[in-house]
Amino acid sequence: MNALVRILSLPACYLSRLPGCGPLVRACSTSVGQKILMAITGLSLCGFLVAHLAGNLKLFAGEQDFNQYAAMLHSLGPALAAAETGLFVVFVAHLGLALSTTAMSRAARTQAYEVMESKQGVFALPQGGASGWMLVTGAVVLVFLVCHLIDLRLKVNPFVDYRPAVAAGAAGSAGGHVNEFLAVRQVLTSSPSRYIYLLGLVALGIHLAHGVQSALQTLGISHRRWNPLFRLISLLFAWGIAVGFISLIAWAHAVNR
Amino acid sequence: MSGELLNLTLRVWRQAGPAASGGFRDYQLRGVSTHMSFLEMLDVLNEQLHQAGEEPVAFDHDCREGLCGSCSLMINGQAHGPERGTTTCQLHMRRFRDGDTIVIEPWRATAFPVLRDLVVDRSAFDRIIQSGGYVSVNTGNAPDGNAIPVPGHLQELAMDAAACIGCGACVAACKNASAMLFVSAKVSQLAILPQGRPERNARVVRMVAQMDQEGFGSCTNTSECEAACPAEISVSNIARLNREYLRASMTAEF
Ligand code: FES
Repeated sequence: MNALVRILSLPACYLSRLPGCGPLVRACSTSVGQKILMAITGLSLCGFLVAHLAGNLKLFAGEQDFNQYAAMLHSLGPALAAAETGLFVVFVAHLGLALSTTAMSRAARTQAYEVMESKQGVFALPQGGASGWMLVTGAVVLVFLVCHLIDLRLKVNPFVDYRPAVAAGAAGSAGGHVNEFLAVRQVLTSSPSRYIYLLGLVALGIHLAHGVQSALQTLGISHRRWNPLFRLISLLFAWGIAVGFISLIAWAHAVNR
Repeated sequence: MSGELLNLTLRVWRQAGPAASGGFRDYQLRGVSTHMSFLEMLDVLNEQLHQAGEEPVAFDHDCREGLCGSCSLMINGQAHGPERGTTTCQLHMRRFRDGDTIVIEPWRATAFPVLRDLVVDRSAFDRIIQSGGYVSVNTGNAPDGNAIPVPGHLQELAMDAAACIGCGACVAACKNASAMLFVSAKVSQLAILPQGRPERNARVVRMVAQMDQEGFGSCTNTSECEAACPAEISVSNIARLNREYLRASMTAEF
């Protein structure tokens, strides 16, 4: 893990050599700085999730609307490529920082306790609630993301039958492109994809349930009067996103009947 | 008024020195009064060990009034035992039942090496304070007490942060062995007050740097520290530390 952390910190090393970037890299490299970056990257990824869910809810509007939306995205060309690259950088940074801060914490206690008992009362999950599961749920989301890209970005999942989507696309219903609407429906109803997606989305919900409120605290956004509301908003946001995407899987099953 | 008497099994971490490898030893203790404090119970154990010609169990303690922060025991997996807002010295045996097995361990953190048995070296905290947990004042005549007005609610906030006794329970209870609650209390108690403002930027940057250098873990906002803290320091201080750090990194001149 330490070797991985060192590789992932290489961009920061090179960045610090750029004129003007030294102080920034130094401020961001302490434990607190890394956590602040974690929070900023995490919230940016949440922004992407909102846009992605909003776009995909067009599935409910029907084939034509969704394909129009897909065609609009494709027509952005280089702008879309730039956004995807940005997203990739933010994602890798979030992951690298997670490994780096975890390595710090592992090194901070090398001898485990014989007995460890929380004083915080009951949690929905063992190990101190969602915050004890960030690395695990993060890893599940990563696997889900890789599968998702294979399924719908590259469209090379051997377990998915893409032929109807390709045929419909060639027949001109989507301007020569693959018919994205049909492709999404095929993927969401195929095994094992649908199970991986379901698991990935539940993990995402748990991850965000702690992640969003933790990010606010890390950015110093905390007030005795408002904290309960922040917590509520974080939970609603987390499960809103997760349930929103899960509803698409449910929809795909309903229409394929 | 005679309380109940308890028969207990104690599983105590024994370690001869910093470099020695330690292990658990079981001891039977009979007739422990429920009126005893936890440390008095350990005194009885040590008396028993002494009479049997064995080495007594080393543990840290000083005031036994919940003020100094010396006492530091992990009791059944909880820092300072099961009572909230209570130090080990203020914990009473009436919290335990007859026949209980009590597991007693030292704080576990790389930055707090075990010196002997249940005693750890907490000088890492001292070095963090030395790095910035102070205000610089001119010596000479005592200044007028009311020369600098401080609003009442800020006094309260600063006093709440200043309640930290530096015992290390936050580090001990944190799954990351992070010292954020301690450092945030020490940063907050000064940053809130006018007297602490001139040095606030340098203070937070230096104290965070020292905290990292001592090898504490990184905060995941799990809030276990707040639950374990005998002085009930709030994690809102951690948010303040983060704000101070952000502000200092972006604006500081020092
Ligand atoms: S001995 Fe001083 S606080 Fe417990």
